[in-house]
Amino acid sequence: MRECPDGAALLAIAREVLRKELLPLLPGDKAYAALMVANAMGIAERQLRNGEGPQREEQQALATLLGREGSLADLNREFAARIRRGDIDIDSDAEARRLLWESTVQRVRESAPKALAAYSPSAARHVFV
Amino acid sequence: MRDEQRQALEQFLAARAGAHAVRIHDVRLLSGGAIQENWSLSTSVTGGPHEGELECVLRSDAPSGVAVSHSRAQEFALLQVAFRAGVTVPEPLWLGDTSVFGRDFFVMRKAKGTASGHRLVKELDLGGDRELLVERLGEELARLHAIRPPVEGLAFLRPPTLSPALQCVKDSREFLDGHRAAFPALEWGLRWLERHAPVTPALVLTHRDFRTGNYMVDETGLTAVLDWEFAAWSDPLEDLGWFCARCWRFGQFDKEAGGMGSREALFRGYERVSGRRPEREAVFYWEVLAHVRWAVIALQQGERHLSGQEPSLELALTAHVVPELELELLRMTGGHHA
Repeated sequence: MRECPDGAALLAIAREVLRKELLPLLPGDKAYAALMVANAMGIAERQLRNGEGPQREEQQALATLLGREGSLADLNREFAARIRRGDIDIDSDAEARRLLWESTVQRVRESAPKALAAYSPSAARHVFV
Repeated sequence: MRDEQRQALEQFLAARAGAHAVRIHDVRLLSGGAIQENWSLSTSVTGGPHEGELECVLRSDAPSGVAVSHSRAQEFALLQVAFRAGVTVPEPLWLGDTSVFGRDFFVMRKAKGTASGHRLVKELDLGGDRELLVERLGEELARLHAIRPPVEGLAFLRPPTLSPALQCVKDSREFLDGHRAAFPALEWGLRWLERHAPVTPALVLTHRDFRTGNYMVDETGLTAVLDWEFAAWSDPLEDLGWFCARCWRFGQFDKEAGGMGSREALFRGYERVSGRRPEREAVFYWEVLAHVRWAVIALQQGERHLSGQEPSLELALTAHVVPELELELLRMTGGHHA
């Protein structure tokens, strides 16, 4: 069994130290780099907290939509190819639209959660910041 | 900058400025520019038409660059053409080569002020009256767009074989085909762009990175439009769409013109100089395209880190702006699932 606090929790507290204790002491030209470090730590933390669950859900939903099995990367490529060919039309296919929107929201939740606030209250729920 | 580089530069500047001597008394590497390096040079010129203090910027290639960007010689030619057309750009002074500095470069007059998008949208004392600034930016674009092919010195700019809109769709798809992962939302955006592609009646010279962050202002207003490395023959509305695109408002979403002012003011300035009133709906198409194009560029920048060629936290994080660009793209093109 691994030691606790785990990786996500360590990133969270380390980020606090960076932002609250170190950032104010940095010269102006280094503040941007520190903010980038904090941002990167936040993304890593959220990915760790989410684990593989969302990816598995996306894979299953894609497999159902496309009617075939495969890795998430393969299914995603197939989804992209069908959209390009016009075989899947997001305008008329509500299930494809839902899947595309939800999987994009999930990625924003990890990479840029603050951006979600502008879209829908439901999308902004369960955001770890 | 090494001593021998500085001495070689002093000799180069003296020869080009028609001076007896040029002394560089301060050199600073300026921040910004993932593709180029910019050095601020404070010089004293003895003799010739530039006699006195000359503040200039040396722009050189960085160790690596995005494949689609122009060479320094080409960027210098673009600056000359824009300068002659009355666009507010740093005055291009002299073109150099690798024998002087080890890398290709050119020298331009230094413009005063700041370009940082994050500062501009927050510090309201920068740039003077914001509506006037945005109106002025519209005028600048209109002056640029008065330049039509062919232009001597710009032969390296190849007109697109397809319409600019469809060319962007084709180029983006080719890039995505060779990329390590697929992006279904970008594909949906590209399909929308393909189905709604406008005809471009006449190609004009466009900047193609005309946005907040790429122009400088001081307390009174605009001092220079920067970063010409993506310039190309395209549809004039591409620049207006890029400027207004939500992804370039630096969080000030209600200020539709670059996070700085109203769309109305931008269009007013544009119409005054060009005589053409931009139509909001037509510009919207290019705002959608802006999100696709910025996402593709962000993937390319991320790839420079991912490939191991240029480890950089900034490049690595740039790849992480793609999901939010895709979400906005979906919202704009009917992919919003309530």
